[in-house]
Amino acid sequence: MTTKETKLPIVNGAGFYEIRMESIGGLGANLAGKILAEAGVLNMGFNGSNFSSYGSEKKGSPVKAFIRFCSSDMEVRENSPVTEPHLLALFHENLSKTIPVTQGVGPDGIVVINTSKSPDEARDFLKLHAGTVYCINALKIAIAEKTRINTAILGTICRASGFLDPDAIKDMITKNLGKKYASLIAPNLKTFDRGYNEGVSKKFKPDNKYPYIPFTRDGQKIGYFNQPMGGVIPSGGNSIFKDISASREGWIPVLDISKCTNCGECDITCPDYSFVWEDGIDPKKGKPARILKRIVYEHCKGCLRCVEICKFEALTSHKEFETDKTILEKGFTDGSKK
Amino acid sequence: MKIETLKEEKILNKEAIKQTVDFKSGNEMAALAAAQINYHIMGYYPITPSTEVAENLDEMSANGEHEMVLIPGDGEHGAAGVCYGATTAGGRVFNATSAQGLLYAMEQLPVQSGTRYPMVLDVVCRTVSGPLNIRGDHSDIMMALNIGWVIILAKDPQAVYDMNIIALKIAEHDEIRLPVIVAYDGFFTSHQKRRIRYFSDKKVVQDFIGEFKIQNCSVDVDNPITIGPYMNDPDLINNKKQQSMAMEASYKIIPQIYKEYAELSGRRYSMVESYMTDDAEAVLFILNSAADTARIVVDKLRIKGKKVGLVYPTVIRPFPAKEIAAALKNAKAVLVADRQDSYGGWGGNMTIEVKAALKDDPQNRSIVISRIYGLGGKDFYEEDAEAMFELALDAAKKGKVDVPYDYMGTTPGDPNFKFEKVRGPITNKESSLGIIKVTRDEKTGKLDVKGVKHAELTAMPHRITPGHGACPGCGIFPSIGTFLKGIEGHVVMLWHTGCGMVVTTGYPYSSFNITYIHNLFQNGAATLSGVVEMYKERQRRGEIPKEQDITFVMVTGDGGLDIGLGPALGTAFRNHNMIILEYDNEGYMNTGHQLSFTTPLGHATSTSNVGTVGVGKKFHHKDSAQLFAACHIPYVFTAVESQYRDLIRKAAKAQWYAKNEGLVFGKLFSSCPLNWRHPDNIAQSVVQAAVECNFFPLYEVEHGITTINYDPEEKGKKVNVTEWLKLMGKTKHLLKPEFKGVVAEFEEEVERRWKRLKAMHENPLL
Repeated sequence: MTTKETKLPIVNGAGFYEIRMESIGGLGANLAGKILAEAGVLNMGFNGSNFSSYGSEKKGSPVKAFIRFCSSDMEVRENSPVTEPHLLALFHENLSKTIPVTQGVGPDGIVVINTSKSPDEARDFLKLHAGTVYCINALKIAIAEKTRINTAILGTICRASGFLDPDAIKDMITKNLGKKYASLIAPNLKTFDRGYNEGVSKKFKPDNKYPYIPFTRDGQKIGYFNQPMGGVIPSGGNSIFKDISASREGWIPVLDISKCTNCGECDITCPDYSFVWEDGIDPKKGKPARILKRIVYEHCKGCLRCVEICKFEALTSHKEFETDKTILEKGFTDGSKK
Repeated sequence: MKIETLKEEKILNKEAIKQTVDFKSGNEMAALAAAQINYHIMGYYPITPSTEVAENLDEMSANGEHEMVLIPGDGEHGAAGVCYGATTAGGRVFNATSAQGLLYAMEQLPVQSGTRYPMVLDVVCRTVSGPLNIRGDHSDIMMALNIGWVIILAKDPQAVYDMNIIALKIAEHDEIRLPVIVAYDGFFTSHQKRRIRYFSDKKVVQDFIGEFKIQNCSVDVDNPITIGPYMNDPDLINNKKQQSMAMEASYKIIPQIYKEYAELSGRRYSMVESYMTDDAEAVLFILNSAADTARIVVDKLRIKGKKVGLVYPTVIRPFPAKEIAAALKNAKAVLVADRQDSYGGWGGNMTIEVKAALKDDPQNRSIVISRIYGLGGKDFYEEDAEAMFELALDAAKKGKVDVPYDYMGTTPGDPNFKFEKVRGPITNKESSLGIIKVTRDEKTGKLDVKGVKHAELTAMPHRITPGHGACPGCGIFPSIGTFLKGIEGHVVMLWHTGCGMVVTTGYPYSSFNITYIHNLFQNGAATLSGVVEMYKERQRRGEIPKEQDITFVMVTGDGGLDIGLGPALGTAFRNHNMIILEYDNEGYMNTGHQLSFTTPLGHATSTSNVGTVGVGKKFHHKDSAQLFAACHIPYVFTAVESQYRDLIRKAAKAQWYAKNEGLVFGKLFSSCPLNWRHPDNIAQSVVQAAVECNFFPLYEVEHGITTINYDPEEKGKKVNVTEWLKLMGKTKHLLKPEFKGVVAEFEEEVERRWKRLKAMHENPLL
């Protein structure tokens, strides 16, 4: 691939064009960041860097990937995360429920979001101060093309950036898939093109509808004055307060209690202990029994193990964005409507 | 004003020697350097964030890109032993580790230096536990200051490559012959990709380092020697004097090697790098990646007319005291920033050493300020560096410092914050459902379990709560959760380091409604032994009511039962009243799926790659249930979540044995959808297939008598191993014709073990 001479459209005070990706583990943000950075540095002649946030993340947990570009003759010395991105890519819209993903995005910023929403809806959903919103239904594309959402989002990022060369990125997609996954190259390039072409954008000026959210490191409530000695957690079991529904990748189980026999197999197989049982009366035998009441969707990661195990079709899988919101709120359906 | 540039940039690159431009991380560069050197042996044990070095080398090896032999240790101590032995046998040896791994290996490291066998160890710096943290600081490397190894530092991916090549040349120099550590920052450098250059031809690297000169070889039959004698006081001090002399020699030789390398590569390093120090009133002394961040700030402050400068060493053993004193001779104030603390030493180790270095210069009047920063990988932003410079400028101006030693970047916390109470303790009453009855037949001595009603057992309070961060479909939680349905009353658990531990206890959250302890996975069984015996002794002394009862359960992954096998066997020999549960998912999943000793033959992992020459794991799986059966403990069992009634029944028996007789060992075969690469929803089918093909037989060993609980042949459900292997991405390659031999060998071993088990089942004496 020949190197093209391209200029960065805008840089910060340190000379960088900066990109932040917000995702959950398993959606391929880390790889997308790598491909993007490699395309910029090796195919487009920029200097740059790329890294991801690391903790003890597993699949389904929040992750961030960072990409910096600068002119070829500049040295990269930055090691800290991107705090005021020129371009923010949200791989999973529900992350915004628990994480301040739009921190540091100013009026000139670009937000690429994987969503079925329109730009206006997405802006309101994110409570975005201002900036250009690019909406792409990457999940729909990935399901259709039997690929992953990251390539579709890369396509939209490329288009939204206004300076990234699609051929440079496609070359890197091809190289990363390589010989090992050669059969995936063509569908991924198509996914990229669809991401590039199908993004819908709108620019929002600062209109005082939502405030600017600056980057901040404050807000930590437990510190050296009040952290219990030795790092002990005095209140075990408090993970139950966490909402981990952002771990789901688009599918959910729906419980139809009219078909449930209270056999208990779903409770055995659920890794997330998301089923709620109570003492009650077995409707068939008329005897006291344990009765399955509902699914707690805040804790369900959408693995669909329960759907697989249920012999009675009381549990079935559904696309989350197509599912009636009341089912998610109640945790079940009684079979009267779907 | 004009900004001065570092010396390294003044040198024009030589065009004669071809270098390739690429975009790679620190770990990738370490692996690349090692591959180009073509070391004979790498002994290693996976630990974040250094693991990728071995992974990258394994992947290259699978495709025939180097000839290194990679040997997975049973832990870092074992890996260091492998390395030591290999260095005595006359070849080049490499290793990479971090944090606990460095500490666990450390007993071996002075042996390596004291007996003078050179090698290179990359320390990818990470916080030392506990509490556990996997991110980058310097608390590990500073523990290594006294082990007699040369320690050089690499601040970015380019330096990681360069220093790895330089390190071996230092190590093997005739006047040095010492092992060398290359230390770089975990994640900041190890996982950050930057534009780099490397020698296109590995011969350039090999020629630079030169031929390996064998000394004191353990496999030279013509020259038998004694390596590592017992050495008394008249002599030992002289051995150490020699070591010290070698270190002194390295102090003179390192700059020469740097110079030679600069001539070759165009990249020059100095033992101490200083930037804008000549007229600086306030100087920051800081190591590795943070020095890069600080340099940006120097430029910014210089533009504002503030006289600041920066000093960072590339070598800390030998400590370049003279060069540091020279660089700081004009500074009115020096802030030494340590990414670790020597608790009670009023500064981190660099503070202490810089102060000592300045003391040797009687003219030096610098005020030294110590600040501890960035612990546990806390990000270091430009504004943090600026705050450090401002502190030093203030001290320089006032001629004194108000707080000589402190932490930066800490949080006092919100005084109104209190941990929200979730629920009261799970009482004995609410967790004693009385659904399951365990009775012992006095005549046969066998236990009878009745009432395994899993739907009724949904009434058992969750000892582990929802909201944990395991991957979707994870097998650990159905396996352990179902086991706990069979355990009545109070439970105290200890979990080894691993996925299960990490995803349940990310501060300030915990998924345990019961008391939970973590200890590092070398030592969980021993730790819980201590808990059990203290509990019993306090009961005996009347400090705890005698009628109270706790069931003690230790949970480990298969990885924790590799590195922690010794203490687990010790616990078995002592027969404590407790249960050890192993969730075996056939690999080190918490660090990204490296092979474990239970990984079966031919399975692909990130350290048993499949490629043009790689065929997956090269040796058979460990049989941990049989290991514990050989300890003659009261009860050993295997179970899977897909046969949950069997699992709950065994839990009830386990509790009875742990209470009345002693140690129980249970092995649960547990799916990892992420790394086994199967859809999240089919985990139960996958583990069940492993049972049906006899790979994972369900059986129990009570008082030495083996009973098979489920015989697929009898049930007419026996399938070929390929029926199991075809379900997983990690074994898909085994279905190809070229892997027929591997599968045949695997199947033969599975059948051999199954037939042996059947013989044991049929004969109570076996």
